[in-house]
Amino acid sequence: MRLMHTKLPDYLRKMHEAVQKHFPEKDIRIRGLENLKSAKMQSLRTGRIEHAVEEIALAEGVDQVEMVVIPRVPETMHTVIIKGLGTDGEVKKAILEVINILHATEEDELGNCTDIDDRRPKIGRH
Amino acid sequence: MAVLKYRIIPEGAVAGYTIPLNIVFMDMKDIQASGLTADAAVERVAAAIPGAAGLNVFDMDAVTTTSDGIMVRGAIIKMAAADRGKINPDFGRLDMEEMPYSEQLVAEEPHLKQWEGNFKGRRLFRGPDPAKKVIPVHNVVITGRASNNNSATEMMNVVTMEEILLPIMGQLEIMEGGEVLIGYTGGIISVGIGMTVAEQYGRVFPTRQFKAGETAHGSGEYAQTLKREIPCIVSNKKTFARNVIAALNAGMVPAREIGCAPAILAIAKLLGKAVAVENIQDKAWEELASVGFSKAWLLSPAPVITEAELLERADELVPGVSNPVKVKASELAVLAALEVE
Repeated sequence: MRLMHTKLPDYLRKMHEAVQKHFPEKDIRIRGLENLKSAKMQSLRTGRIEHAVEEIALAEGVDQVEMVVIPRVPETMHTVIIKGLGTDGEVKKAILEVINILHATEEDELGNCTDIDDRRPKIGRH
Repeated sequence: MAVLKYRIIPEGAVAGYTIPLNIVFMDMKDIQASGLTADAAVERVAAAIPGAAGLNVFDMDAVTTTSDGIMVRGAIIKMAAADRGKINPDFGRLDMEEMPYSEQLVAEEPHLKQWEGNFKGRRLFRGPDPAKKVIPVHNVVITGRASNNNSATEMMNVVTMEEILLPIMGQLEIMEGGEVLIGYTGGIISVGIGMTVAEQYGRVFPTRQFKAGETAHGSGEYAQTLKREIPCIVSNKKTFARNVIAALNAGMVPAREIGCAPAILAIAKLLGKAVAVENIQDKAWEELASVGFSKAWLLSPAPVITEAELLERADELVPGVSNPVKVKASELAVLAALEVE
């Protein structure tokens, strides 16, 4: 089961390596994961994405590679934890709330590109 | 070659107020005349707009309700959001749900007594069926930067984060070619939009969450700040007053069948109409009083005027909208046309 989910640092390393094994002087720019300090990433997709990064890096006319991770469903509901900490660093009082966030969808990232290969499963499948 | 007509408020500024994205108004009759389906028509117009856009399709023979329960002629039946000519296939469009007439529905939502009295036989649309939408919380469609929210009455560019409020009466006024006000939403409307009625498949809430006399905000003095600094386009106050008068004359009582928004209370008081004062909840009073509409104000004696005088002096007497500028709908939302096959 250890292969079912990939550690976040391993995910990031794999993406950098997918570019650098072909172009050692280049790198991939990754946005959208900055907020994550620890996470388990779906392994099957990690492999597919790693190959996609490589494919884009090798594509004709491509000079730089970017990866942007955005929510699949563009309105996300989040739990907000407001914590009051004591001098010992322990949580003394907390309030839980929710916040709904509206995000731009992928069209905002794609400019006028028409060569788009949408490999995502339909909503509700993975 | 057929022609598809539509109206558009271009992204930019009007009278100093920011229009954060292109706003498109399409009449189902124009779509039918073009020979296209509504979905195809929306796609064709979206394809002609290089920037972010919110697109609303209207059936002007149908009826809808305002969030405070006033029934009006004309309804949005489809909303969409587009960016760079595209509509997101999963999240970019949504249909409003038709609510068939039944005595049971009217019994459950008593503000719909206006339907039989004032709009008999017309189809009713408000918000979507939540089971048919993919985005879980709000009645919203999003494509790229464009977001069309609350069943097409609030649009924003989620990248610039600029927003505009488009209450339904203002949109219908644009469709009718009348006059609208553009201004800042201000504290009074910010409070008023929380004074909703309970509706199944409502514009904002999918279920019957907040009844007449309650506040959906529950934010106390803070409610007035909710949309205060956001531009809005609303109907002229004479149209607003005419619609409220029609509801009051159909037997609607503020805080009993219809909401207790400041503008509705003000009109009822000016005309000497009954208000279900006892139904207005403390939380609602707190918000109302914060913008000058306290219980003491409502219960204080005041001269009653005629409907004709109210309509004549609506700009002066109906509260709401900060620094409004009156503009002709035809100059704000300009007619455009596409040739279609």
